[in-house]
Amino acid sequence: MTEAVLNGKLPPPVRRSDGVIIPFDKELIVKSLLKETQLVKTLYGGTPMKEEDARRIADEVEEDIRSMKLRFLSGPLIRELVSVKLLEHGFDKQRNVYTRVGMPLYDVYSIDNSEGYEAKENANLQPNPETFHKKKADFLSKESYLLMLPSNVADAHLRGDIHIHDLEYWGVRPFCQDWDLRYFFYYGLMPDGTGTHTSVAGPAKHAEVAMLHAAKVLGAAQTNFAGGQGFFNFTVFMAPYLMEMDDRKIHQLAQMFLYEMTQLYVARGGQPVFSSIQIESGVPKVWQEAPVVSHGKVWKDMRYGDLEGKVHAFANALLDEYMKGDAVGKMFNFPKPEVVQRTRYWNDKSFEDIMIKAAQLSAKFGSTYYDNMIPAYRGGEDGVSCFQCCAYAFAEDGRSESFRRKILFEDGAHFSMGGMQVVTLNMPRLAYKSGGDEARLPEVLRETMSVAKEAHLLKHRLMKHQFERGLVPFASQRPRGAPPAVDIDNLSHTIGFAGMNEMVEHMTGYQLHEDQSAQRLALKTLIEMDRVRKEYSTETGMKFSIARTPAESSAQRFAVADMIHYTKFARELVKGDLEAALPGYRESRDVPIYYTNGAHVNVAAQVPLYERLAIEQRFFPILKGGDIFHVWLGEVNPDPDALLKLNRRLANESWIGYWSHTKDITMCMSCGYVGGGLNARCPVCGSESLKHYSRITGYYQDVSSWNAAKRQELRDRYRVRISA
Amino acid sequence: MRPSKVRVFAPEILPLSLCDYLGEPACVIFFSGCNYDCGYCQNWRLKARSKEHLVNIDKVKESIRKNRLVTACKVTGGEPLLQLEALSELGRFVKSLGLKFGIDTNGSLPDSLRALIPTLDLVSIDIKTALNEGEYRKITGVGKPCVDAVRRSLEIVMSSKVYADLRMVVIPGYNDSKEVALSVAGSLRPLGYEEKARRGMASLTLVEFVPENALSEEFRRLKNPSAEDLRSLALASGLPNVRITHRAAGFYKEVEGGPKKKKEG
Repeated sequence: MTEAVLNGKLPPPVRRSDGVIIPFDKELIVKSLLKETQLVKTLYGGTPMKEEDARRIADEVEEDIRSMKLRFLSGPLIRELVSVKLLEHGFDKQRNVYTRVGMPLYDVYSIDNSEGYEAKENANLQPNPETFHKKKADFLSKESYLLMLPSNVADAHLRGDIHIHDLEYWGVRPFCQDWDLRYFFYYGLMPDGTGTHTSVAGPAKHAEVAMLHAAKVLGAAQTNFAGGQGFFNFTVFMAPYLMEMDDRKIHQLAQMFLYEMTQLYVARGGQPVFSSIQIESGVPKVWQEAPVVSHGKVWKDMRYGDLEGKVHAFANALLDEYMKGDAVGKMFNFPKPEVVQRTRYWNDKSFEDIMIKAAQLSAKFGSTYYDNMIPAYRGGEDGVSCFQCCAYAFAEDGRSESFRRKILFEDGAHFSMGGMQVVTLNMPRLAYKSGGDEARLPEVLRETMSVAKEAHLLKHRLMKHQFERGLVPFASQRPRGAPPAVDIDNLSHTIGFAGMNEMVEHMTGYQLHEDQSAQRLALKTLIEMDRVRKEYSTETGMKFSIARTPAESSAQRFAVADMIHYTKFARELVKGDLEAALPGYRESRDVPIYYTNGAHVNVAAQVPLYERLAIEQRFFPILKGGDIFHVWLGEVNPDPDALLKLNRRLANESWIGYWSHTKDITMCMSCGYVGGGLNARCPVCGSESLKHYSRITGYYQDVSSWNAAKRQELRDRYRVRISA
Repeated sequence: MRPSKVRVFAPEILPLSLCDYLGEPACVIFFSGCNYDCGYCQNWRLKARSKEHLVNIDKVKESIRKNRLVTACKVTGGEPLLQLEALSELGRFVKSLGLKFGIDTNGSLPDSLRALIPTLDLVSIDIKTALNEGEYRKITGVGKPCVDAVRRSLEIVMSSKVYADLRMVVIPGYNDSKEVALSVAGSLRPLGYEEKARRGMASLTLVEFVPENALSEEFRRLKNPSAEDLRSLALASGLPNVRITHRAAGFYKEVEGGPKKKKEG
């Protein structure tokens, strides 16, 4: 190091992050400021820097560097010095785009060692090299999107007014999709969407290939989407490939598909594809007369109605294989089986086998999801509708001309149902902000919803741009001039909500299960939300929907945010173990407190299931964007016949559109035992090396990977026993 | 509804159970007080009565009436037949709602059972072990377990129209031998079990003993039986319609490979 550097006459040479050491050059600062602050215009519509301002900043930075007498200088360090200078001079927006994103070295180290808050954020990610990579990328990505978002939206997210889901994928991925298999059975498969980096397969001609294509569609789709991937009408669209198969072969194929979906361990940072399949026992009314699409053609002389026997056989085979589980007897937790409930399936004796097997699967593993088309609001007999993955619902009304074309697959017209983005509202926060005044609540609600709307509009614009440039290539693919696989304008913009129970508790003094006034306010609020939603849809021409969100991390994040910003109110309302949370919530934020999901009844409430049902079912017709009713099975060994009768009631005599029975599962890592209940020791070999599975987030997961709040919720949740 | 004067020791209600009434989603009423003192008991908190347990029977009725999800009601305990008056009144009420009515009993009160039979659809009788005083004493913890009474209860149920849901909790070292299985089978055959089982109106369920939940320290130290143990005992009995329930079995299973039986229900 030269004398001139040490006495501050010359700045030290610069270690640049692109891997060279060069002498300090002020001009480079000027150039980069002029170039990079152009983004201010692109992102916020503001003005980039003028050259004279850039020069002044660069001069002052050089001056500072000299006076600091540094021995060492790096590109990142200079950049931060420039950023500080920009703030000093009031160039806040310019600072936003000029700053670096990244993370403290300590956090990188923690991630590589599977520690820290991020270790538990997504219950699906288990520690492995891909995961560590994804977490670092996510961190960088989230930070940058928070800088790129308009500051009112970013601040609303950071303060905890709203939660922008999957923020790490904000600028590049839509949310989720329920695919129309006919598209791939007609056009074939290009996993990269263009056929340049992967081979191009023609339409499947054999059953095995059809199964594998289906699995690969979801795998490829996952690289383009942030959330779940599924197939609606799966058993129906698969049926043409099963025409010449006997039952044994159909079972084999079903098993193969389940293994593919749970062993393609490659999605988003080393996890299986988050997937679901809709299982129809027969052929729904709208598909009865529709021409079969498979083997690369639209059949002139064959209707789906002709294949009902195979649809039925395939549904049976899938449920049998789910029941068997994998080689060690463990459940297949993906693809989530969405078993469709229709009046015909309950009344026609020949479908009883499917209803029985669905109940047996619930009794054994709790893995069945019931997609109930019977309530009128689902429109399930004359339209197309499905619940998917995170319990979001999508539907298409059967009255339009485009619907008819899609049913007929005219010129490749097909269904594309899915979600673009989810933004969740912190409902208790609305109550605090309105000062507990019911008259003010709608206004505060509208304000927060409008921030969510702004986020949605931005997302829509961003994605449209990405689509048009072919940057979401699997979704935007157009093989042989086909219509794009995904209809980007048809994706739902979901406004979710968490903590309705706590909101009404603050407003009325009662939780949902405690008083009718609380239930009435919840209903009134949802109706108001739905009214605003309709306005948004009309005004923008986009699809907006209201839904309960799984709130995997947001139920905790909102509770903690409110403990920070609204301590006095929040400490009265947050659920879980506040005592345990108090020492740590400002620092770690992974603490055992939460708000109740969606408009659910407090999981710890001492109310019988029928009362919970009576309260929650009233919200379903409004929540067309999705909701779920959880039945926690206290029993270690429920009787499937009894469960079947309960299902019959729920399907035919309630408004519940989607439910599941949750059974806690213990799996022994020593002997492979799998059974009900959360045991401390293995009932077979006595080992204490166990994994516990349960569901609180909307799908089955290893309990140990849950965050502190979710584990607390598991301890709190009330099963069915009460004192008289 | 006219207010009732009957009071009952009933400290708990389970509004929905999927494993207490065969094939039906049921609400379960827990009556407290028991005349046995079984070391393996899982509901030992209900063994002794206390003043706090006492409620007017209308309160119990009200909770059943509101329960739209169930198709049956089961009374368990404790020993429910110790409160016959309340039980009869409850039975009539449950039937008036169109629900099925069942009870759990240890079988030691045959006269009360006989009186109740007309309102019952199902009786779950515990068979603790081979039906003799010595063996029964070891498990029930009382000097006079009155096995003759248990035998009479079994007779009453077998010759009635109600479903006979026989249950034996299998406890290693106590009743898990082949001899016990054979002896139980030998006692059931002359009562017409096989014929009733073939009509789908009787079954025997072998239940896994779970040491963690047991009343006495001595029983808590024991191991649970394996699913395989239960299966081989079921086969050894030679009886039709034998089922097992074990955490590892997932849910109630009929044992395959036994004599041919008709599906119950």
